[in-house]
Formats: sequence, structure tokens, C-alpha cells
Amino acid sequence: MNKIREIALGIVTSIGGFLDVGAIATAAEAGSSFEFQLIWTIVLGTICVIALVEMSGRLAAVSKHTLADAVRERLGFNFFIFPLIAEVIVDFLVLGAEIGGVCIALQLVTGISFQWWALPVAFAIWLLLWKGNFSLIENGISFLGLITLAFVVATFKLRPALPAVAEGLLPTVPQQDTAHYLFIAVSILGALISPYLFYFYSSGAVEDKWDKSHLGVNRAVAGLGMGFGSVVSLGVLIVAAQVLHPRGIHVDSYEQAALMLTQPFGYWGFVLFAASLGIACFGAALEVSLDTAYILAQAFGWNWGESLHPKEAARFSFVYTVFVFLASLLMVVGIDPLQLTLFSMALTAVILPLTIIPFLVLMNDRSYVGDHCNGWISNSITIFTIVLTFVLAIVAIPLEVLGG
Amino acid sequence: MASRELHLELLLGKCVFDSTGNRVGRIEEVRAQQQGDDWVIVEYLVGIPAIVERLSAWNLGAGLLHLMGARNLHKGYRIPWEQLDLLDPEHPRLICTIDALKEISQQLERDAN
Amino acid sequence: MDVIRDVLDNQIVDRNQRKMGKVDGIVVELLEGQPPRLAYLETGVTTLAHRVHPRCARWVAAIASKWGAKHTEPFRIAWSKVRNIGIDVEVDLDAEQTPTLAYEVWLREYVIKHIPGGS
Repeated sequence: MNKIREIALGIVTSIGGFLDVGAIATAAEAGSSFEFQLIWTIVLGTICVIALVEMSGRLAAVSKHTLADAVRERLGFNFFIFPLIAEVIVDFLVLGAEIGGVCIALQLVTGISFQWWALPVAFAIWLLLWKGNFSLIENGISFLGLITLAFVVATFKLRPALPAVAEGLLPTVPQQDTAHYLFIAVSILGALISPYLFYFYSSGAVEDKWDKSHLGVNRAVAGLGMGFGSVVSLGVLIVAAQVLHPRGIHVDSYEQAALMLTQPFGYWGFVLFAASLGIACFGAALEVSLDTAYILAQAFGWNWGESLHPKEAARFSFVYTVFVFLASLLMVVGIDPLQLTLFSMALTAVILPLTIIPFLVLMNDRSYVGDHCNGWISNSITIFTIVLTFVLAIVAIPLEVLGG
Repeated sequence: MASRELHLELLLGKCVFDSTGNRVGRIEEVRAQQQGDDWVIVEYLVGIPAIVERLSAWNLGAGLLHLMGARNLHKGYRIPWEQLDLLDPEHPRLICTIDALKEISQQLERDAN
Repeated sequence: MDVIRDVLDNQIVDRNQRKMGKVDGIVVELLEGQPPRLAYLETGVTTLAHRVHPRCARWVAAIASKWGAKHTEPFRIAWSKVRNIGIDVEVDLDAEQTPTLAYEVWLREYVIKHIPGGS
């Protein structure tokens, strides 16, 4: 029974890491612009993420070291400093975007501009990190995150044509608007395969004191947890395809995206969209803040742990405190949250290869994973993902210019 | 007995040249053994395979390197401690020549088997 | 023992399994006519910075000398204190009695305790 509760780690990682402002924005844009044609990118991203999350968990459970620990220890600081600096910069921008997501959700419901919400939201995030422990955050967000199932319910209410949906599973490239299509495909993959997901999940596994007996749970959690986020993302895409696409509404702002749930749910659809966006982004903000503190503490060998009292992990707590407030300033000064989201997705795509390559080394190293080395399937998926992320890294910026 | 201090982490990646100025390779690993109460350095590993050995992903690594076009993966060198002159840590020097080193390496392999 | 792979950059833990930084550097003693001896483990942000670039080390030392615990010297652990080298490097010391936690303690006393809920 205890192990079933572990699923909470998977769902919270999923809601914060998988289903965040980037996933919602890109899925909505995909559905509204290209109907069901981009479903395959969500499925592809999901497969890669499930495999990599499972590996992060396995690494943490067997070695009791997190991903960041292991990358520095095994590949050396001279290598690690690159993904480290890149990750901190990306985390900063993504955190700003997630805080922006929460603020926009509040703006949708209250009408008060998102800029005013930035500091209160940052304070709420900080307070939860300061006073709460890892279990509280894990279970709280998992529970609240269930509201995102509204998108799945909406999908069923709208009765999409199944053959059209099934066709979306096959990768196709349209003749018109090719640059825009490819840009959204790259953005979706950059939004789904987020480096902070892996660092966070492995840190969470250590926080929850996983060991070898959790390996089965890890597989279930990785699959079901990420699967949950994936199903909701698909829901967002399909609803956008059914509601926004026929009306020619493109998602240039969150207000337009919010319309998508009004057809199945009426006025409450608007509120459900705001609630889903707000909770998913809040969860993501918690995760990204913690992620930055985790990787810096783990890179330098400090004491760390969300479940520790702040005074027992002073440097760790100090880092997330400063980080949350600095990132919120991006929203205070009025940077458009949607633009920041799309930009940080493209930047994530550029740094991804550096994050994934260590997996190939670590997951085949017996001193870290013992007898639980990667089999040929896991290694193949890892190599495939490395190649995929290299391609993404190269095309991300040019496509942003051409098709953004 | 005059003694000097050296930072091993700064030696990592430094290029070793032999007595005639030929490039031997970059220092990638340092092997130590216990002698009594102390641990002492016995050899330095230099060259591409040394990186792969450090990553202990020989099969995977060699495969990837072949994929990336690296042909002629020459075997790396094992430099016994007495053959490396560290008077200038920025420019470690092989006291003998590469050819002499090859002979020493082969002798070490034969002794090990 | 492969020193770079198995010791450098690994986590140092004290007698109570408390984290006290990573092995940022390894100091070796060079003697005439004898193999070089592993003398000390070194941990400190300036040692780490030096690996990136010597100027980086000077820059980091300058900042550290003005801020917080104002501690810039890296901490050396004699090799004789190393108990076990596995995935972590276990040393026979007490972390609280070493300067490795200088900034941790400083932040705890001067910043964290003054924030509500921090003490």
C-alpha cells in the first residue's frame, strides 16, 4: 500500500515537469493550428521521457546518488559545469514562465493584470518550500493536479472523429506552413523532454529514500505518472483541435486558449482552464525552484533536502529563496508569459543533448547501478533520444526565426 | 629531501610530449597503489582509450567513436611514474621517447600475463 | 585505484555520513627518486574555480573574501584520514569541526534564522 502512494511522486513530477506551461501552450497551439497532425510528437516525447525518468529513478534508488551528483562524480566537474550553467539559466527563464502561467490564470479569473500577481505568487511558492516538506508538496500537487483531467473529460464530451485522431499518430509533414509545423513539433518535444524533470525526479527519489526494492515501483511510477501527463496533454491538443481549429482561432495568447473548454463546459470551462493552468504551473514552479537548489547543492556537495528544516540546509534554502524572487521579477516587469514560455522551450531544446549524454555512461556503470545496468532497449532509446535532441538543438533556433 | 606539491586535478587533460618533441597524448587518468601506509602513483594513462577507460564504457564508447568517424584507434599509453617529468606541471615531459615507451608498455603487458 | 575516476569530484562524507563537499582537488607530494605520494584531498570553491581557469579562482577568492563567512582557503584533508573510497569518500573527521561548513553556518546564523520559520 505504501508503494502505491509512491505514485504521488510520479504524478507530481508529471504535473509539474511534464504538464506545465510549455506543454499546455504548445499542445494548444498544435491543436488550433494543425488539428490532430501533431499527436505523434506528444507520443514520441512521452516514450523518451518515460524511459529517461525510469533511468533517473533507477540510478537514484540503486546508487543513492542523484543524477546531478553522479554526473559530476563520474564525468568530472570540467564536463558538468556546462550542463550546470546552462540548466541554471534555463531554470531561471522557465521559472519566470511558470510563475507567469499562475499569474495569467489569476488574471483570467479576476481581471487583475498578471504583473500584480507576480510577487504574491512568488511568496506563496516560497512559503510552501520554506515551511512544507517534500511529501506535502508531492501529495498536495498530485491531488490538486487531478483537476487537469478536465481536458480529458472534455475530449470525450466533444467526440472527436477517431480515424482522424489515429491518423495523427503517424508522423506526417504538411505541404503548407511547413516551417511553422516543424517549429511547433520541436517546441512540443522541447517542452516535454525537460532536463529539470530528470534532476527533480532523481532528487525526489533520494528524498523519499528509495532503494533497490523500489525498482518495480519506479517503473510503474515513471510509466503511469508520465502517462498521466501525456494523456492530459493529448486532451489539450484534441480539445484545441475540436474547438479552436474550426473557428480559425490561433493561440496567440492565453485568453484565446482559455476558450477551448467553454464549448464542452460553458462558463465553467473558462474557470476550469484557469484552474488547470494555475495548478499545473504552480506545481512546475515548485519543481523548477527546487531543481535549481538541488543541482547547485549537488554540484558543490552541500547538504540538501526539502524535507530538512531550512536551518539544516542553509545554502540550499538560500538558493531557492533568492531564485524564486529573482525569477518573479521577469513577470513584474511585464514580459509576456507566452513569449517567454516559447523562448525557454527553444532554449531547452538546445541544451538537451548535454543532459542526456551522461545517461549513456551512468546507466552502464556497475559502480552506480550495480546489476541493474541498462538493457539493449534502454540503451537504444537513450541513443535515439541523444540523436533526436542533437537534431532539435540544431534546428530549434533557426525554426524559431522562420516559423515562430 | 626536497619535496614539491602538485595538484593532480590540474594535470588532467595536459598534453604530454616526449624528449624529441613528439606528442604522446593527454593525461586522462592516474593509477595509484598502496605501499605501506601511503598511496603512491604508479602510472599515468594517456590517450583516447584512457578517456574511454575513465568512462568505463569501452564497448559503447568504441562503437560510438567508430560511428563518429574515428579510425585508427591507437592504443593509449601507460606511462610509469618514473618516465614522466613534472618539473613544469603545465608541460609534462616524457623522459624517454615514444618508441621507448612502447617497448616499456609491451614489457609491462608481458609481465602482467 | 583510478584516482581521477574514483576519487576526484566524489562526495566527501564525515564519520556521521554528513556531507562535507566534494573532492575538488588532490594534492600530490613529489619526492626525489620516489613515486609521487597522494598527500591531501582538497575541497573548496577556489580549488574548483582554478580548474576552470586560474583567473576564475582569483575572482572567486575576491568575492569570497568580502562576502559571508569571508573564508577563501580551501580545506585539506590528509590522505591518512581517508577511511573508505566507494561511491563516497569517507573521512575520519567531524564536518562541524572543519571549515568546510563555514558558509553553511554563516548563512544559518545571519540569514536563515532571521527569516520567520527559519529557527
